[in-house]
Amino acid sequence: MHLGLFIAFAVICVAGAISLVAQRHPINSALSLIVVMGSLAVLYLLLGAEFVAAIQLIVYAGAIMVLFVFVIMLLNAGAEERTRGSRVAMALGVPGLIVVAGVLMYTLAGHTAAGQDQLAIGATYGPPVAIGRSLFREFLLPFEVTSILILIAIMGAVLLARYHAAPAPETRAIDPDEAGDLLQLAGTHGSAAGARERRRAEHRMREREVTR
Amino acid sequence: MPGFHRGDYLLALPMMLLTLFALGVLLIDLLLDRSSKVINAWAAFAGLAFSAAAVHNIQRAFADQAARGEPSSPFFAFSGTLMVDRFAVFFFYLFLAAAAITILMSVRYLEVEDEHHGEYYALILFSVVGMMCMAAGNDLILLFIGLELMAVSTYILVGFLRRDRRSNEAALKYLLLGAFSSGIFAYGLSLLYGLAGSTNLQQISMALGNAMAPGKARVVPAVALVTTAAGLFFKIAAVPFHQWAPDAYEGAPTSITGFMSVAGKASAWALLLRIFLFALGPMRPLYVPILVFVAIATMTGGNLAALTQSNVKRLFAYSSIAHVGYIMLGLIAGTAFLPNPDGIRGILVYLLVYTFMNLGVFGVIASLRRRDIIGDELDDLNGLFFKAPTEAVLMLTFLLSLAGIPPLAGFYGKYFIFLALIESGHYALATLAVIYVAVSAYYYLRVANAMFMRTAGDRVPVTISPGMWAGLAITGAATVVIGIYPEPFLRMVNWSMHVAQNPTVAQLLR
Amino acid sequence: MTPTAIISIVTFLPLAGGIILLALPRGAENAVRRWALFVTVLEFFAAAHIAFMPGHHFSMSGWAMEENYAWISTPAIRYHVVLDGISLWLVILTAFLTPLCVLISWRSVHDRVKEFFFLLLVLETALTGVFVAFDLFLFYFFWEATLIPMALLIGMYGHGRRIYASVKFFLYTAVASVFMLVAILWLYAHTGSFDFTVIQPWLRSHPEVAAGNAGLWLFLGFFIAFAVKVPIFPLHTWLPDAHVEAPTAGSVLLAGVLLKMGTYGLLRFCVGLFPEAARAQAGWINVLAIIGIIYGALVAMVQPSLKKLVAYSSVSHLGFVVLGIFTFTAAGTAGAVYQMLNHGVSTGALFILVGMLYERRHTFEISEFGGLASRMPVYAAFFVFITLSSIGLPLLNGFVGEFLVLSGAFRDRAIYGILGASGVIWSACYMLWMVQRVFYGENRNPANALLPDASAREKLTLWPLSAMALIMGVAPMIWLSSINPPVEQILKNVAPASHMAYVAGGQK
Repeated sequence: MHLGLFIAFAVICVAGAISLVAQRHPINSALSLIVVMGSLAVLYLLLGAEFVAAIQLIVYAGAIMVLFVFVIMLLNAGAEERTRGSRVAMALGVPGLIVVAGVLMYTLAGHTAAGQDQLAIGATYGPPVAIGRSLFREFLLPFEVTSILILIAIMGAVLLARYHAAPAPETRAIDPDEAGDLLQLAGTHGSAAGARERRRAEHRMREREVTR
Repeated sequence: MPGFHRGDYLLALPMMLLTLFALGVLLIDLLLDRSSKVINAWAAFAGLAFSAAAVHNIQRAFADQAARGEPSSPFFAFSGTLMVDRFAVFFFYLFLAAAAITILMSVRYLEVEDEHHGEYYALILFSVVGMMCMAAGNDLILLFIGLELMAVSTYILVGFLRRDRRSNEAALKYLLLGAFSSGIFAYGLSLLYGLAGSTNLQQISMALGNAMAPGKARVVPAVALVTTAAGLFFKIAAVPFHQWAPDAYEGAPTSITGFMSVAGKASAWALLLRIFLFALGPMRPLYVPILVFVAIATMTGGNLAALTQSNVKRLFAYSSIAHVGYIMLGLIAGTAFLPNPDGIRGILVYLLVYTFMNLGVFGVIASLRRRDIIGDELDDLNGLFFKAPTEAVLMLTFLLSLAGIPPLAGFYGKYFIFLALIESGHYALATLAVIYVAVSAYYYLRVANAMFMRTAGDRVPVTISPGMWAGLAITGAATVVIGIYPEPFLRMVNWSMHVAQNPTVAQLLR
Repeated sequence: MTPTAIISIVTFLPLAGGIILLALPRGAENAVRRWALFVTVLEFFAAAHIAFMPGHHFSMSGWAMEENYAWISTPAIRYHVVLDGISLWLVILTAFLTPLCVLISWRSVHDRVKEFFFLLLVLETALTGVFVAFDLFLFYFFWEATLIPMALLIGMYGHGRRIYASVKFFLYTAVASVFMLVAILWLYAHTGSFDFTVIQPWLRSHPEVAAGNAGLWLFLGFFIAFAVKVPIFPLHTWLPDAHVEAPTAGSVLLAGVLLKMGTYGLLRFCVGLFPEAARAQAGWINVLAIIGIIYGALVAMVQPSLKKLVAYSSVSHLGFVVLGIFTFTAAGTAGAVYQMLNHGVSTGALFILVGMLYERRHTFEISEFGGLASRMPVYAAFFVFITLSSIGLPLLNGFVGEFLVLSGAFRDRAIYGILGASGVIWSACYMLWMVQRVFYGENRNPANALLPDASAREKLTLWPLSAMALIMGVAPMIWLSSINPPVEQILKNVAPASHMAYVAGGQK
C-alpha cells in the first residue's frame, strides 16, 4: 500500500518536473511546480516526515508558489523562445541527464540490494516535538546562524534593489544610442510584443558590448 | 538532555560579538549622514578587535590545558556541533586579520565609488561569522549554513557597485553558479548523512570506515565523495569548477576581490580540510587520484589562462586559481601516507602568507581607483614607479612573493608544499609544479614591467588614504618579515597543528 | 667583534650602504654617487684585506673561515657562510669590479640615480652572498636575490629592447633554478639539513644514492641551473640580449660576476656534491663546452656590434672554464678558477671600454668607427692592452688561465686540448680584427672627428683593471697558492689516483 502510493506519487512528481521544464509559458511551468511540490509533500508524509510534509505544503506550495505566480503576472512574461543555444542544450542535456540519472539509480539500487539495513516506508515518524527538540537543542547553533543568513538575504535584496537617486557616475556615461534603447525599453514594456521588442533591444546592446 | 553552559557561549563568543557589532553597524548607519560613514568602518573594526580578544581567550584556554600537562584536546560546544580546536583558532585569526585589512583598504575606495554604506561593513562581519562556522563546524549542517552565510554575504558584496554593469553581472553569475554548486554540495552531504545516519563528522568518519572495509560495495560512498568534492572544488575555484572566479573577481569592488580571494578562499580550504581529513579520511585511496587530476588541471588552467590577461584583476583571478592548484598539492602530499604533516603544514603556511600578499596586491590596485580611472587594466599600471614609487615597490614585493622568490613570504608556502611532495615521493608532481611556478613568474613580471619599465600615460599623482597606507604597510611588512624571519609564524602554524581529538586525524597530523 | 664576522660584514656592507643611500635627499645626485663610490671602495678594502689577514691560511686545505648560526629552526636552515680560496677571490673580484661600475656610471646614468646605485649595491650583496653561502637554502636565497636587481637594472636603465632582454634574462634563470630547488629539497628531505658540510659527508657515506640514479638526477637538477647561468652552449641565447641591452655597469657585473655564479656552482655543488655523476657525465659536458668555445668565437667574429662581439666572446671564454672544471685535473680545474677571475677582469674591462665609446657616440656598430687611435690615443692604448689580455698574450692574465685549462684538457683527452686551443686562435682573430676596424685604418665618419680622449675619471677606472691584468699575468702564484688547496680537495673525491699525481703541473 505504502509502496504503491510512494511509486505513484514519485511518478507524478517526476512528470510534474519534466512538464515544468518542457512548458513554454511561465504560468504553465509555475502550475507544474505546484504539482511537484504537492507530490513531494505526499512523499515526505509517506516517509514519515509529517512535519516536513506540512511545511512543504505551507511554505512551498503555499507561500512561494503564490509569489512566483504573482511575479510572473506582474512582469507579464510571454512564452519563451527557442534559440539555437537552447536547442543545443536540449540535444546535449537530455541524453546527459538520462545517463546521470541512470547511473545514480543503478548504483543506489545496487547498494540497497547489498543487504544493508532497510526501513519499511512509514516505519518511523518525525513528530513536531522531536523536530523542535533537535532544532533548539542539538542544532541550536546552526538554527541561530540560519537566522543571520536570512537576515542578510533580506538585507541584500533591499540593498541591491533600493532606488538610487544619485546620478550615474561619469565612468559609465550612457551613450545616446544606448539611451534610445533604454527609452524604447521603457516605452514598449507591457505587452507580449513589447517583451519581444525589449529582448531584441537587449540583444543589440549586448552585441555592441561585444564589439566594444 | 543538559542545558547549555557558560563554556558553550564562550566558544561561540567570537561569532556572537561579530554578529552584535554587525547589527550595531546596520543601526548606526541609519543615524549617519553621507560624510561621516567612516564611523561604520571604525565600528566594524572594533567588532573585529573584540572578536579577536574572544579568540585570544580561547587560545589562553589551550595554553592552560598545555600548562596542566594535558594532551591538547578540542573544546566542544552546542551539543558537539561546534568544535574549537587550535586549527580553528588559527583560521579565526586569519579571517579576522583579512577582514581588518580589507576594511582599512575599503574606506576611500567606497567613497570614490560613491557607494559608502554601512551594509558593506556589516556584510564583511557577517561573512566572517560564516567563515568561522566553516572552520569550527563539527556538523554537516553548521558547516553548510556557515558556507551559505559566507557565500550569500559575498554575492551581495560582489554586486555592491549597483550602478556598475560589470559588478551586477558578476554578482548574478556568481550567485547562480554558487547556488548550483551549493546544491551539488548539499546533495553530497545528504548522501553522507544517509550513509552515516548522523551529521556529526566523527560519526561519518566511522561509518565511512566501515563502508570502506574490504569486500563492500563502495559505489554510494564514491558518489557521495564525488558530489561533495565537486561542491568544495567550486568554492575554492579549482579547475574545472573555476569559471565563476575571473568574472566575479573582475566585477567585484577591488577591496572585495581581495577579501574573497584570501578570506573566502581560506575558509573554503578550512571547510575542505575539515571534510576531507575528518569526515572523508577513510576514503583517502579514492580521493587522492581525484585530487591529483584536479590539482594538475588547476595549475595548468590557472597559469596558462593568466598569461594572456590584460585586466589585472582577471590576471590575479587566474593566478589565484593557480595557487589553489599548488595548495591542493599540499593536500595530496599530506594525505599520501600517514605520518607526513608537512603537506598540511604547507597548506596552512600557504594560506597565511597568501592572505597578506594577495590582499596587498588588491590594495595597490584599489588605490589606483580614481574618479575617472578604474585602474584595473594592465596599462593603468604603466609607469607607476615614477608616479608612486613606494606603491610600485610594494607591488613588486607582493608580485615576487606570489612568484615564490625568496626571501619573501610566498616562498615558504611553496617550499613546504614541494618539500612534502618530495618527501612523499611525488617527484613528477613536484617537478611539474616548479615548472608552473616558473611560468607564473612570467605573468607577474608583465605587471612588474608595466610598473617599472614603461612610461606613464599621465602624470596625475596617486593619492593614498591613511587607511590604505596602514593596510599596505601591514601587508608589505608581513610579506617581508615572514620571508626573512618566518620562525614565529611557523611556530604558530605548528601550534595550530596539534590537533589530537580524532584518532585518524591525530595520526594524519601528528 | 670576532674576526670571523668579517664574512658577514663583507656580505652586508653594500646593502647597509644602500639603505643609507636611500635616505639621502632626492636631488642630491652627486652625494649619491660619492656615497656609492665610498661604500664600494670600502667594501673592496674590506674584502681584499681578508686575503692578507693573519691567522687564516687560505693556502691550506679546509675552510679557511666560517660563520655558522641557526637561522630558522623548523626547516633547519642555518646562516652558514664560508670563505675558502675559491670563494675568497670571487668575492674580491666582485668587490673590485663594483667601484669601477660606480665610476663608469657617474655620468652615463643621470635619471633615477639613487635607485640605480641602490640596485647596484643590493646586487653586490647578493653576489657576495652567493659565493660565501654554504647552506644550500641560503645559497638559493642569494642566487634568486641576484635576479631582481639585475633584471631591474637591465629593464630600467638599459637600451632599446631592454624589457624583452630583462624578461628573457629573468625567465631563463628563474626557470632553470627551480630544478635546483627541487634537488635541494630532495636533499633536505633525505638528510634533514641544508648544510653543505652535512650533505656532502652524507652523500659520501651513501654511495648508492650519490652514484645511483638519484645522484644523476640531482646532479642534472643543479647542472641545468648553473648551465643556464654560465651559459653552456645551447642555453646561451639569453646572454647576448641581456648584455647588449644592459647599461654598462650591468654588463660588467653580468659578465664579470654573474656568469661566475654558474661556474662556481658547477665546481662547488655539481662536482663537489656529486663527483661520481659529474665524472660519468663529463664527456658530453666537455663536448658542449668545446662547442661553446668555437661557436662563441665564430659568432663573435661576424657581429656588427661591438657589445655583441664582447658578449659572444664571453660564451667562448666561459667554455674554457667549463672545460677546465670537467677535465678533473688539478691544472685544469685550478686554471678554470683562475680563468673565472681573468674573464672578470678582462671582459669587465672590455665592457667598460665599449661603454665609454657608447657614451660618446651612442652606438655600438663597428662600422660607425675607424681610425680612432689617432683621435683617442690613450683610450686606444688601454683598449689594445685589454684586448691582448683577453686573447691570452703571455705575461698577461688570460694566458695563465688558458694555458692551465688547456694543459689539463690535453691530459684528460688530447682532442679536447686541440679543439680548445683552436679557440685561442679564433679569439685572437676576432678581437684583433675588431681592433683593426675600430682603431686603425681611416676614419670616414665625421662624427668621430671630435671625440675626446679618456677623461681623468675614465683613466681612474681603467688603470686598476690594466694593472690587475698585468699582475695576474706575471705573478699568478698569489692567487693559485690559495686556489689550489680547495680545488685539490674537490678533486680528491672525483678523480682516480692517476690524476692526483699531476698536481704540481698546475703550479708553474
